[in-house]
Amino acid sequence: MRCLESIAYLFPRIWRTLARGPQTVAYPLSPIDLPAGYRGRVHIRAELCRGCGLCVRDCPAFGLELEREDRETFRLIYHPDRCAYCGQCEESCNFGAIYLDNDFVHGTFNREALIEVLVDRKRTNK
Amino acid sequence: MNRITVPIGPQHPLLKEPMAFQLTVEGESVIESTLRLGYVHRGIERLCQERTYVQNIHLVERVCGICSHVHTTTYCQGVEALLGLEVPLRGLYLRTLLCELERIHSHLLWLGVLARNIGFDTIFMYAWRDREIVLDIMEDLSGGRVSHAVNVIGGVRIDLTEEHRDTILSQLDLLDKQVAHLLGIVEHERSLKARTQNIGHLSLEDVRRYCVVGPVARASGLNVDLRRDRPPPPYDRLTFTVPVHEDGDVWARTWVRMRETVESVRLCRQILTLLPDGPVAARARRRVPAGEVISRSEAPRGEVIYYIRSDGSDIPARVKIRTPTLTSLITLPTQLEGVNMADVSVVLAGVDLCIACADR
Repeated sequence: MRCLESIAYLFPRIWRTLARGPQTVAYPLSPIDLPAGYRGRVHIRAELCRGCGLCVRDCPAFGLELEREDRETFRLIYHPDRCAYCGQCEESCNFGAIYLDNDFVHGTFNREALIEVLVDRKRTNK
Repeated sequence: MNRITVPIGPQHPLLKEPMAFQLTVEGESVIESTLRLGYVHRGIERLCQERTYVQNIHLVERVCGICSHVHTTTYCQGVEALLGLEVPLRGLYLRTLLCELERIHSHLLWLGVLARNIGFDTIFMYAWRDREIVLDIMEDLSGGRVSHAVNVIGGVRIDLTEEHRDTILSQLDLLDKQVAHLLGIVEHERSLKARTQNIGHLSLEDVRRYCVVGPVARASGLNVDLRRDRPPPPYDRLTFTVPVHEDGDVWARTWVRMRETVESVRLCRQILTLLPDGPVAARARRRVPAGEVISRSEAPRGEVIYYIRSDGSDIPARVKIRTPTLTSLITLPTQLEGVNMADVSVVLAGVDLCIACADR
């Protein structure tokens, strides 16, 4: 009886598996289906950033760096090679400036080339 | 008869993580065994004293690669208690949903490892195929398969739409069927029983002596489960049973874990049905008032305990983590005594070791 049950369980599944085709995708020729909440590279809406440094303070992997000269002159630098892709910066930002997107391809031979200046704000003389 | 010493580990195909055994073997029987740990010690507890409470959420998530969410949950629970913060009910429900999904994921992964160790690759394939359903649900919820980064101090950072809830419920229907099939295999398959029954026996006295927790304790007849005995919300509003078995061997542990998986699927469905409206997180202060707290949760492998002491700053003065694997590990010499050499792999798999958890 158990044997018949096993056959009844197995055969429809074998059939479905054969009919379904390959589960893998021909990456990078075809796109990968990623979930909506996927945490990829960090981006910024530079105009919203006020340089408060909360994202830098909360980043567990020290992936963000703030170079500040004065209140209005600062640079926010992103180090993807250190980034843990946890999304804490997005959570910590009170102004909705930082967000993570679906981009996860960071392959390079030069680690320095990954570093990105997210915000480069200079004093504007009025 | 001559006695020989067989080393297993730190790198060995039987072990998924580094640890070392020295087995003294007489003929085919294990006479004595010693255990050596510490190969994956990362100094996480000390590192916690160097980082802020917020940064530590992501650090404690790295204690374990399987039950990562329950570690952050226990940590956040402790910090929230120190802050006197009331977490919104919806946030607690979503936290618990991830905890239960993680339990299903952990138990199915473990079943695959056990099956692999006893050479029953069909169950290994089935279990890991079905585990993909849970991983898909978790990835859709949090964006990550293993590191979810969902918890924040004061709640969670994810929310659920009605459509998403319906999708998860339909995925749970499929998972329910598959888990019932796996439970049927565990209960009836003769070759699985032949390899796991009367092996790695642990008596109720031993369980009490070594303070063993989780499925290993429940498989030896100790009826403990933090979710039922001291239910944190929302477990007090959910109905579930705690499976207990008297045999105390590897098969009993397999049965307990699979029954727990069935119960966890049931719990997930209840959580999704009863999910209240409202915010998912409360705003937390950065500086935590001075004090100390012990926070406990029922992880897939048993009770995980966090001790957190605050000196009033935004960096904890001390974080101490007690993981359930540590209590199971010290029972291994007792379990391995008199075991046939070919069954050592079954005993090792039976306790569901997480060395990264134990070493921290």
